[in-house]
Amino acid sequence: MLALQLLATGLVTGCALGVVAISFALVYSTTKIFHVAHAGIYTLAGYLAWSLVVHNAPLIVAMAVSIVACTALGALIQSQLYARLERRRATHLVVLIASLGALAVIQNIIAGVYTPNILQFPLPWSGEVLPLGSVRLTYVQLLTIAVSFAAYAGTMWFAHHTILGKRIRAVASNPMLADITRLQPQSVYIYVIAIASALVCLPGILVPMDLGLQPYNGVTPLLTATIAMIAGGVGSITGAFVLSIAIAVLQNLSLLVMPGEWSIGVTFFIFVIFMLFRPTGLFAAAR
Amino acid sequence: MDFLYSYIVLAEIYVLLGLSTNLLVGIAGIFSVSQAAVFGVGAYLVAHFLMAQDALPFIPSLAIAAACCVALNILVTLPSLRVSGDYFVVTSFGIQLLATAVFTNWTGGTGGANGLPGIPPPDIFGLQVESTQQYMMLCTIASALGCLCFYLVMRAPFGRLLRAIREDELAVAAAGKNVLRAKVSAAALAGAFAGIAGGLYATFLSFIDPSSFDLDASILLLTMVVVGGARTLAGCIIGPFLLLALPQILTLIEIPTTIAASARQLIYGVLLIVFMLFRPQGLAGERL
Amino acid sequence: MRGFRIGVAALAASLLCGQANADTIKFGGILPLTGPGALIGTAEMHGIQFAVDQANAKGGVHGNQITVQFEDNQAKPDQSVLSFNKLTDLEHVSVIFTGYSGPSLAMAPLATRKKVLLVNAGAQADALAKASPYLINTLPTIGDEISVLSKWLVEQGKKQGAIMFENDAAGMSGRDDYLRSFPDAGGKILAQEATQFGQTDFRPALLKLADAKPDVMLVAITAGLLQMAQQYHQLGLKFTVAGTTFFADPATIADPSSAGFVHTQLRIDAPPELAAQFKAKYGVDMEFFAKQYYNAAQIILTTLDKVLSENKPVTGENMHDTLLKIGKFQGLIPLEFKTNTASVPIDINEMRDGKDVTLKQIQ
Repeated sequence: MLALQLLATGLVTGCALGVVAISFALVYSTTKIFHVAHAGIYTLAGYLAWSLVVHNAPLIVAMAVSIVACTALGALIQSQLYARLERRRATHLVVLIASLGALAVIQNIIAGVYTPNILQFPLPWSGEVLPLGSVRLTYVQLLTIAVSFAAYAGTMWFAHHTILGKRIRAVASNPMLADITRLQPQSVYIYVIAIASALVCLPGILVPMDLGLQPYNGVTPLLTATIAMIAGGVGSITGAFVLSIAIAVLQNLSLLVMPGEWSIGVTFFIFVIFMLFRPTGLFAAAR
Repeated sequence: MDFLYSYIVLAEIYVLLGLSTNLLVGIAGIFSVSQAAVFGVGAYLVAHFLMAQDALPFIPSLAIAAACCVALNILVTLPSLRVSGDYFVVTSFGIQLLATAVFTNWTGGTGGANGLPGIPPPDIFGLQVESTQQYMMLCTIASALGCLCFYLVMRAPFGRLLRAIREDELAVAAAGKNVLRAKVSAAALAGAFAGIAGGLYATFLSFIDPSSFDLDASILLLTMVVVGGARTLAGCIIGPFLLLALPQILTLIEIPTTIAASARQLIYGVLLIVFMLFRPQGLAGERL
Repeated sequence: MRGFRIGVAALAASLLCGQANADTIKFGGILPLTGPGALIGTAEMHGIQFAVDQANAKGGVHGNQITVQFEDNQAKPDQSVLSFNKLTDLEHVSVIFTGYSGPSLAMAPLATRKKVLLVNAGAQADALAKASPYLINTLPTIGDEISVLSKWLVEQGKKQGAIMFENDAAGMSGRDDYLRSFPDAGGKILAQEATQFGQTDFRPALLKLADAKPDVMLVAITAGLLQMAQQYHQLGLKFTVAGTTFFADPATIADPSSAGFVHTQLRIDAPPELAAQFKAKYGVDMEFFAKQYYNAAQIILTTLDKVLSENKPVTGENMHDTLLKIGKFQGLIPLEFKTNTASVPIDINEMRDGKDVTLKQIQ
C-alpha cells in the first residue's frame, strides 16, 4: 500500500534526521552556538568512510576511523575557532559567520578532493531488500533505523546516568554558575562537540550508503533537523528525535496530496509561520 | 574593455546589495541569510513587468519591484522581532530555502528551473540602454544614488538611532524610542536597495534563474559585508569590488578548471574565518 | 586611483597581446566540469580535446594550431552567461561549444546579438531548435526521440504511462513531449512527478507514480539515473521503464537493477581504433557524449578548413554561414543540416545483462 511504504521510508529518513537533530541540539543547548559547520562534519563522515571502503576496508573499520577523525575535527573547531572567538567576546553573529566559513571550507575541500560527482558505496548487500508484509526496505534502511534508535537510547542514558552527562546538562542550564562552581564550561564544550561529531557520523555514513555521496547535501538535513529541535523544544533530546521522525513522515505522506517538489518548501513555510506564533516549541524543557 | 565594464556593472549591482545587507545585518543587527531571496524577487518582478503583454517601462517596473521588496523585507524580518536572535537564524535560513523552492517550482510565475530568458534591455525615457558601456553609466548612477541615500540616512537622527539600538537595545527602549519602528524602517530601506539591484541584474544578464538567488548567493553577500567592513559606506563598496575580482584573479593562477569553482568557494570560507578571527570589523568597517 | 587605472589597462593589454599569436586559433567551451553534471561535461570536454589534439598532431588547420578554452559553468545558466561574455569579450572566440539545455538557452540570445557560433552536441530541449539562428544542434531535439519511443511503446501494448521528469529545461521539455506524443500514438498519461537535478532519493516519486498503476514509466531525467534504477528495483516495482538517449549511462547499464529498461538511442559509433586511442588517453571508454562532441569538433574543424581556404576571416558569422552552406558532414556518422538542427537515425535499445542491446533501428 502506498501510504504504508511512504510511512516506512519516512521513518528511515526521520531516524537519520533524528540523530542529526540530537547531536546538533547537544551542541546548541550547551554552548549556545549555532554550529552550522556540523553539516560539514556530517558530510565529511560519509566521504571518509567511503574512501576506506573503496580500498577494501571492512565497513566497521571505516566507520570507526571516520568517527575518530570527525570527533577530532569537531574538537578542533571548538578549541581553535569558537573558544578563541569566545575569549575575544565575539557576538553571536561573528561566531555564526565563522561557523559558516568553516562549513564552506569543509564542503569545498571535499568537493575539490572527491569531485562533486555523485559517489556510491560499493556495498552490494546494502541494497538487498527485506520485504516486511507489503513494505519493502533495504538492509541499509533497516540498519539506519536500528542504529538511530540505539544512538537515541545511548544519548539519553549518557545524559542522565553518567557524570559527564550530568556535568553537560549542568553547564547547559547555567553556564555562569557552572563556571563559578568549577565545572569548567570550556572543556565541557569540547567534550560536547566531540560527542556530537561522533554521533552525527552515524547518519553521515548510513544515509549516503543508501542515497550516494554529494558534497553539498549536508545543509538541508541540518536545517530540517534544527527545525525539529526547535519545534521539539530546545533542551529536549526526546523532543528533537520524535519531531524529526514526525517531520520526515509528514513530508513523505504529503506526497499523497501534493506534488513532491513542494514538500520541502512547505516544511519551511510551516516552520516560519510556527516561529511567528509559538517560538518556544511543543515540548519546551523545564528551564 | 567590455569585460572590464561587465565587472564594474556587476560590482555596482552588488554594492547596492551590500548597502542592503549592511543595513540589515551590520546596522540593525538582524542576521539575515535571505537577502538573495529578496534580490531574486526584485529581479523576477522587473523581468515580469518588462516582458508582460502590456509591458511597463523600466523605471516604473523598478519602482513597483522596489515597493514590493520593501514590503517583503518587512514581512521577512518580522519574525526577528518576535524571536530571539538565534531562532531567527534558522528562520532566515528557512525563508531563503523556501524562496528557492518557490523560484524553482513555480514554473508559471518564475519559469521554474528554466529561468526567464530574453529579458529586454531597459528603456529610460526613450533611451535604450544596450551596450555594456551604457549599462555601466546607468549602474554607476544607481549605485551612487544608493550610496548617497545611505550616507544621508546614517547622518540623520534615524541613523544615530539605529547605531544606538545596536549598542544597547534595552537602553534605547527604556529611553522611550520606538525600537520596533526603527528596525522595520531599516529593513524596508534594505528591501528597496535589494529590489532595485534585482531589476538592474535581470536586465543586464537578460536571463535569470533560481541559481543566482540561492543560499550560496546570500552567503556571498554576507562575505562581502564582512570583508568590506560592517556598518560603513566604504565597506559596502570595497567588499563587492574585491570579492567579484577574486574569480578573475584566480583565473590568472593556474588552477585546473575542475576545481576552480570549489576553490573560489573555499577562499570565501577561509576569508570568513580569517576575518572573524583577526579582523571582525573588515577592511573598512566597525566591529560587527 | 591613477595607479589602479594604469594597472588595469596594463592587465587588459597583456591579456589581449597574449592571444595575438597568428598561428593559433582559439575556440571556447562552456561545460559543467563540476557539480552533478560533471560526469557528462568532462566526457564532452574530452571528446572535443581529443579531436583538436588529433588535428594539431597533423599540423593543425592550414598551419594553425587549435586551442580550446574551457570554462566551468556547473550546468548553471547564469555562470554560462558570464563565461560567454568573458570568452567573447576577452578572447574573441568565434565558436563556443555548449552542453545542457538551460545554459544553452540562456546563451542563445547573446549568441545572436554578438554573432558567435554556439555549437550544441548534447542538449535536447525542444526550445533549442528555434532559440537562435547562431545555435547549431548536431543532434535532434528530444521531441523526435519521444515520438519514436511513444509509437514503439504503444505498439508493444504499453498504453498507460506515468511521467517522471527533471525540473529543468531538458526534463520539462521531455515531459511536454510525452504529454503530446504518447496520447497521439494511442496511449494515455495517468500521472506525472517532478524530481530535482542532483536529487538522489527517487523513492517518493517512484511510489507516487506506481500508485497510478501504469504499464510504463516515461522518464526524462539527466542525473541520478543509477540511484533511480536501484530504488526502482528495491521497491519491487514491475512496470516497464522507458527513456531517451539520456539513459545511456554506463554505470546504469552495467548495474543489474536496470534490466529491462528500454530507451531510444541516437545512433553514433566510433571505429574501434579511435575508441581504443581515446581510452588509452583518458582512461575511460568513449561514451555517447564524448563521441557526440568529437563529432561536433570534427564538423567545426571541417568548417574552419573551408573558411580558411576561402581566405575569409575566422568570425562567428563566417563560421556559421559556411557550416550551413556545407550542410552535409561525414563525421562519425553522416549528418545533414537542413535547418539548425541535424537529423540522425534513432535506435530502440534495451538494457540486458549489463549491456545495451539494439532491438530495432529506425531511420
